[in-house]
Amino acid sequence: MRQVTEPPESSSESSAGESAARARRPPAAEPADGRGVGPGTAPAVEGVKPRESHADAAAVFEVENLSVRYAGKLAVRDANFAIDERRITALIGASGCGKSTFIRSLNRMNDLIPSASVEGSVRYHGQDLYASEVDPVQVRKRIGMVFQKPNPFPKSIYDNIAFGPRVLGMKGDMDEMVERALRRGALWEEAKDRLKQNAFGMSGGQQQRLCIARALATDPDVILMDEPASALDPISTGRIEDLMFELKDRVSIVIVTHNMQQAARVSDMTAFFTVVVDDTGHRHGEVVEYNETEKVFTNPSDERTEAYVTGKVG
Amino acid sequence: MPVEARIHFQEELSALELQALGGLDMVGDALERTLEAVLHHDIELASYVIADDDRIDGRYLEVRQGIMSLLARQAPVATDLRLIAALLDLIRSVERMGDQCVNMSKLVSLVGREPPVHPEIIARIERMGRQAISQVQQCKQAFARRDVELAEDLVRQDDEIDRCNREIFALALETGDDPDAREWGMTMMMMARHIERVGDNAVDIGEQTAFVVTGEFREFTDASHPEVIPPAVG
Repeated sequence: MRQVTEPPESSSESSAGESAARARRPPAAEPADGRGVGPGTAPAVEGVKPRESHADAAAVFEVENLSVRYAGKLAVRDANFAIDERRITALIGASGCGKSTFIRSLNRMNDLIPSASVEGSVRYHGQDLYASEVDPVQVRKRIGMVFQKPNPFPKSIYDNIAFGPRVLGMKGDMDEMVERALRRGALWEEAKDRLKQNAFGMSGGQQQRLCIARALATDPDVILMDEPASALDPISTGRIEDLMFELKDRVSIVIVTHNMQQAARVSDMTAFFTVVVDDTGHRHGEVVEYNETEKVFTNPSDERTEAYVTGKVG
Repeated sequence: MPVEARIHFQEELSALELQALGGLDMVGDALERTLEAVLHHDIELASYVIADDDRIDGRYLEVRQGIMSLLARQAPVATDLRLIAALLDLIRSVERMGDQCVNMSKLVSLVGREPPVHPEIIARIERMGRQAISQVQQCKQAFARRDVELAEDLVRQDDEIDRCNREIFALALETGDDPDAREWGMTMMMMARHIERVGDNAVDIGEQTAFVVTGEFREFTDASHPEVIPPAVG
C-alpha cells in the first residue's frame, strides 16, 4: 500500500507540479490596466510592494477542476488554485458557498460521507491525494483538522493528545510528545498541572487550543481549520490567531472563516467563494477570486468579491 | 437574491464625503474673497478671510474625527477603505488651501495704503486666481463623480497657473528702481506662489480621485522626475 509520506524534498514530480501551479496563479498585485504602482511601470512609488509575493512560495496543495457532489448534487464546482506552503490561506464566502466542503476535500474528510463524490484532482506535495493506493488515515495524520466547535474526547487532557500518536503507533517518549504538542498549542502552562483531569473541565478557548494541540501531536504539515474561533470570545480568538502565526513557520494553515476581519488579520492569501444558482434553481459554490489577502481587502479584482468584503451584499 | 447590507455604514460614509467636499466649497468662497481683497486692496475683507479660516480648520477636524470613528467602528475595506484614505488626504488639502488664502490675505495689508500697482502683474494675479477657483470646483466635481478623466484634466489647467507664475516672476524682475514698486512686485511674487500651491492641492485631489477609482496611487506629474510622462487615460 502506498502511503502519503513526508513531503518529498526535491522529487521531479513535485517541482513540475509547482511550476504548473505557479502558471495558474493570478499575477501578484499587477494592476489590471497596466498603470500605476506595479513592476515595470515608470512612476512607481519607492518602497511600496505587496508583502511576501506568493509567487515565491511552494504549493502544498494544487487543486485542479475540483467538483464535489453530495448524493449527485453539485456542492462545489470546478475549483482551481494552489495553496501555498507555510502560509495561512483563508476561505471566505456566504453560507452555502461550499468553503467547508472544499476544505474537507483537502484531507479526504468527505470520504466519511457515503454519498459524497469528488471529481478533479487534489495534489498534496505533488502526490494525488485521491489515488486508490493512498491511505486516508495517513492523509489525516499529515493534514490535521480543527472544527468550529471544540470537540475534545471525553478523556483526560493527556489522553486527548496521546490518542493520535497511539492510534498511529508512533514511537518515542509519549510524555515528551504530549508536552511538545501542548507547548506548540500554547496550552502547556495552563495544562501542565492538570494533565490527568478531564478535558471537559477546560474553558471553550482552552478546549479549542487542546484540539489544535491534538492535531499537532501527529506532527502534521497542514492544519485545516473550519471556523475555529466562531464559538470563542475575543480573547480566546486572539490567542488562536496568535497561535496560527506561531505555527505557520512549520505548518501550512487553511482556515474557513465567516469573520472577514479575522481573514484580513491572519491570512496571507484569501479565496472568495460565492453561491451560484443554476437554471434549475440548484445552488452550488464556486471560487470567484483567489489573491493576496491585502489585495482582496484593498482592491479586489472581482465586483462580487468587492460587494461581499465591504458587506454591501449579505 | 443578494440582500443590501450595511446601509447605515454606507450612509455615514456618504455623509462624511459630502462634508469633506463641502470643505472645497468653503475654500472656493475663501479664494473668491481673497482675490477680491488682493485686487481691490481691501484690507477689511482680507482680515475677514483670516478670521473665517477657523471654519475651514474646524471642518478639517470634523472630517478627520469622522474618519477615525468609521475606521474604529466599521473596519472598512476595498473601495470603502480607499475612499476613506482619499478623504483623509482630500481634507488635508482643503486645510492647506485655506491656509494659502490666509497667507495671501496677510500680504494684502503689507503692501501699504496705495501701492504702485503694475497692471500686467495684477492682471496675471487675477487670471491665476480665477483659474485656481475653477480648479477647486473641478477637483470637487471630479471626485464626487469619480471622473478620472476630469481629474487628469486638472494638470492641463494647472499649466496655466504655472505659466502666469513664471511671467509674474519675470515682470517683477523688470519692475525698475523704485523701492516701493519693487516691494510690491516681490509681494505679488509671493502671492502668485500661494495661488500656485492652491492649484497643486487641486491636482492632489485629482490624484486621490484616480486612486479611489483604480486602486493605484500615481502622481499625475512628478516634480522630481519631470521626464516621466504620465500615462494617458486608457
